[in-house]
Amino acid sequence: MADIINNQKHDLSRFNDDYTAKYGFHDPVDYFHKGARGINHEVVEMISRMKKEPLWMTDRRHKALDIFLSKPTPDWGNTKLLGEIDYDNIYYFMKPIERQQDSWDDVPDYIKKTFDRLGIPEAEKRFLGGVSAQYESEVVYHSMQEDLKKQGIIFLDMDSGLREHPEIVEKYFGSVIPSTDNKFAALNTAAWSGGSFIYVPPGIEVRAPLQAYFRINAENMGQFERTLIIVDKGSRVHYIEGCTAPVYSTDSLHSAVVELIALEGAYIRYTTIQNWSRNIYNLVTKRAVAHRNATVEWVDGNLGSRLTMKYPCIQLVGEGARGEILSVAFAGVDQHQDAGAKVIHVASNTSSRITSKSISKDNGRTTYRGLVKIHKNAKNCKVSVECDALLIGEQARSDTYPTMEIDNDRVRVEHEARVSKVAEEQLFYLRSRGLTEDEARLLIVNGFMEPFTKELPLEYAVELNRLIALEMEGSIG
Amino acid sequence: MKQTELTYTLPDLASELLEGPTWLNRQRQSLRESFNSLPLPRRGLQLWRYTDPSRFMVETASNATSVNGTFKAARSAEQQHLAEGRLAGLVTDITGREIAVHGLDEAARSGLLVMALSEAAKSHHALIEPHLYSLVNAQTGKFEAMNGALWQDGVFIHVPDGVVIDKPLHLLRQIGGAGSSAFPRLLVVIGKNAEITLIDEYGGGPADDSAGFAYANGVVEIVADEDSRTRYIALQRLAAGTRFYQTHRARIARGAQMLTIPLAFGGTLSKQNFGVILDGPGAESEMRGLLFGSGQQHFDNHTLHHHASGQTRSKINFKVVLRDRALSAYTGLIRIEKSARGCEAYQENRNLLLNDGARVETIPELEILNEDVSCSHGATIGPIDPLLVFYLNSRGIPEREAVRMIVSGFVADTLKHVPEDIRERVAGFVEERLGNL
Amino acid sequence: MSDFRRMAATHEIPLGEMRSFDMGVYNIVIAHTDCGFFALRDECTHDSAAISDGELDDGEVVCARHGARFDLTTGAVKAPPALVPIDIYELKIDGEDILVRVDD
Repeated sequence: MADIINNQKHDLSRFNDDYTAKYGFHDPVDYFHKGARGINHEVVEMISRMKKEPLWMTDRRHKALDIFLSKPTPDWGNTKLLGEIDYDNIYYFMKPIERQQDSWDDVPDYIKKTFDRLGIPEAEKRFLGGVSAQYESEVVYHSMQEDLKKQGIIFLDMDSGLREHPEIVEKYFGSVIPSTDNKFAALNTAAWSGGSFIYVPPGIEVRAPLQAYFRINAENMGQFERTLIIVDKGSRVHYIEGCTAPVYSTDSLHSAVVELIALEGAYIRYTTIQNWSRNIYNLVTKRAVAHRNATVEWVDGNLGSRLTMKYPCIQLVGEGARGEILSVAFAGVDQHQDAGAKVIHVASNTSSRITSKSISKDNGRTTYRGLVKIHKNAKNCKVSVECDALLIGEQARSDTYPTMEIDNDRVRVEHEARVSKVAEEQLFYLRSRGLTEDEARLLIVNGFMEPFTKELPLEYAVELNRLIALEMEGSIG
Repeated sequence: MKQTELTYTLPDLASELLEGPTWLNRQRQSLRESFNSLPLPRRGLQLWRYTDPSRFMVETASNATSVNGTFKAARSAEQQHLAEGRLAGLVTDITGREIAVHGLDEAARSGLLVMALSEAAKSHHALIEPHLYSLVNAQTGKFEAMNGALWQDGVFIHVPDGVVIDKPLHLLRQIGGAGSSAFPRLLVVIGKNAEITLIDEYGGGPADDSAGFAYANGVVEIVADEDSRTRYIALQRLAAGTRFYQTHRARIARGAQMLTIPLAFGGTLSKQNFGVILDGPGAESEMRGLLFGSGQQHFDNHTLHHHASGQTRSKINFKVVLRDRALSAYTGLIRIEKSARGCEAYQENRNLLLNDGARVETIPELEILNEDVSCSHGATIGPIDPLLVFYLNSRGIPEREAVRMIVSGFVADTLKHVPEDIRERVAGFVEERLGNL
Repeated sequence: MSDFRRMAATHEIPLGEMRSFDMGVYNIVIAHTDCGFFALRDECTHDSAAISDGELDDGEVVCARHGARFDLTTGAVKAPPALVPIDIYELKIDGEDILVRVDD
């Protein structure tokens, strides 16, 4: 760690008395030496300095920290688990590539088993297990960047995005999710590091999906990723993040913020598959703004973590805008997937569709929390919501809390939810066709998830199917 | 700057409230203490998401006892029905203070017991003590604790085992004038294999709030034993100058069947909470609700079907019609406990908006802790289908008439289940609200 | 068009503060700043919180729940997460009385 400090060029001219007066500390460098856990203004200052950020970002971080400290933990949701988060016992400023794990031996068995069963290559295994620091191929990365650059597309990690395009970032950062929005958005705004920054100029269709340049990227596996995607007029992009293989991390709190801005006529599809290890609390705020005639689609798969709280949201602020949220959640042993979808219709002639599929197995618990809000001047809007939950086993639990707030009469809103177990008749039929009980059950679960899996790129779909098969076998965890 | 939190405590209970038996007085005192220590429900959360709880804070039970023209007319009409043999009995309840029972003779011969709750607490202690406050008490909430401490007199109904009352029993409740508050309470205990139909009608209050609102905070507890069959119809037709809060809880045992029909038309602010606990295999509960809001009415309704036992079935169909700038908030919860296998539960909420300006909030909720379940819910919100109106127009039916027909069609299957005794009147309330649309 | 209704006396709302008034099924909040008195619907368009629980800052009201901001004069949204302007009411001072035109 000492090496890093010595190699940094400290910009001491930035150290000014205002900070002392405002935030009451003297020398942030000392703090860094101590390798302290917990978050406070010294830590925030260090993060910002190490990244050499413009003052306005540093200032936003400090303000956000004050908001984080003043907001209480939510009193809804899984308050028991939320209450277990120890904010003072987390490293907030480790660069992702400096994650320190001790050895392969420390990686939990269930993770190793899954790697084997999924056929993950050796190098990937070590990276996903947090044992090796990097996994990327310089050559491939650069050639992809060349292609994008030719089209004027900016696709960088968020730190670089801020450095190289501060004007764009300043305009949009926090415009969709302000730090005052909720406690975890405030924490992320104070401590963010890594994530993706994408800007697509007008009139471009990005043909291949943009992925955090392989399926795995250190910068996109951080605790407090911040992603900002702006797609200008008439352009189209599909962004994918995450992977179905489990990702192990000793950092137990992951709190990302994702902001999407689809300008007039733009199209954004954002696909996520997250399978964090079972010690992780995954609390994410994801929100998109769709302007006139724009379309935003969230395709969201939640598999891992101990507790996930994530409600992708689309605000339809321009006429003719469209939103779609397709989400799948699988809760196994001791897991709670508290997911959902929110659509806010501000402009007239907008439409949205929400499809949520959740599966609870063993003592897993899935919760759907949704919001459909149609403001009084949003006329001729059409919304349809479908939430289906499958329960497997005596201990499984499923909750559904869909809220609809409709403020004008020129609407058509339909909502439907169903909860059931794997149907006996279906099982019986499949078994009579020669399948074993396990095979039959798996087929039914895959059929249940089909509306989601068919939207994934092939390699993800294949891996997801394999993972579900493992989960159903019960041989993991 | 911040508003100060509304803090209010109930002073010592008036001596007239403490004239009952010791066990009852102790309960009242305990409920008063609970009220004082419970915080006001937090605005914006769950059941209070759409209604500001401070609107229901009243000073204390006031002495206004008012019997107005509408009440007298209603009472005469029901007494007429009684004379015609259409009712098993009539109970009048004036502002939760004066209870009078009429025309019970024939039904009483079969063992049906209908009397003032304060009387019954003394004379039928064995029936009352185990059941009063068993379903609605301080644990239910702050406002329920308020009723529990402050109710002056209520109605007690007991249907012994095996007794079948084939004609409806009609309760006519009148609340007071501007500035008054009433705490109506009803306890119904139904025996094994017994059968009864109860019409619980709420009326009264000032025509507007220019002199202040009239408040009523009512509680209904129904305990239905094995294989009983109950129909409970709540008809709320309060005048515009009222704020109404009501909590209803029924527990039905093995094999029992219950049909609950909440109907709401009146008041400026009306918050009603209906719940049925299915507590034995074979228990079945059906709820059919209807509300029609107009002007600036604000309705906030909550229904609960709690499957505490396996092999139970529930169904709820809640219909809302709104015009002008009325608002309806509806939260419907189906909860299936971990130990409750083989349950079926369905819920449907349909909202019809007759013009722009009406607002609907609906949250159909599910909490399912057992996999062996068949459960679904649906909600729709929208205006009258313009194609349907066009179709009727093309058949020579003018717009207004067409709307009337469509709304009648919308409410028809709910009205079908309303006892004949009040069906025409309820249809009349719908008619009246369609008025000059 | 309805008439103006007397809401309160000017001295009942100190400078820099807000008061909320029960209108039956909704509340109206009256704020007092350097620029005078303003009347708005006491309900944030984001999540229906009472904005009277919030703060006044430089011609804007800040909602306590999620930080949305509205311009006191026009009701326009000044900061997310609100998206829709808040209703404002015509207000006039008549001597010591604050009068607001309330829709019916």
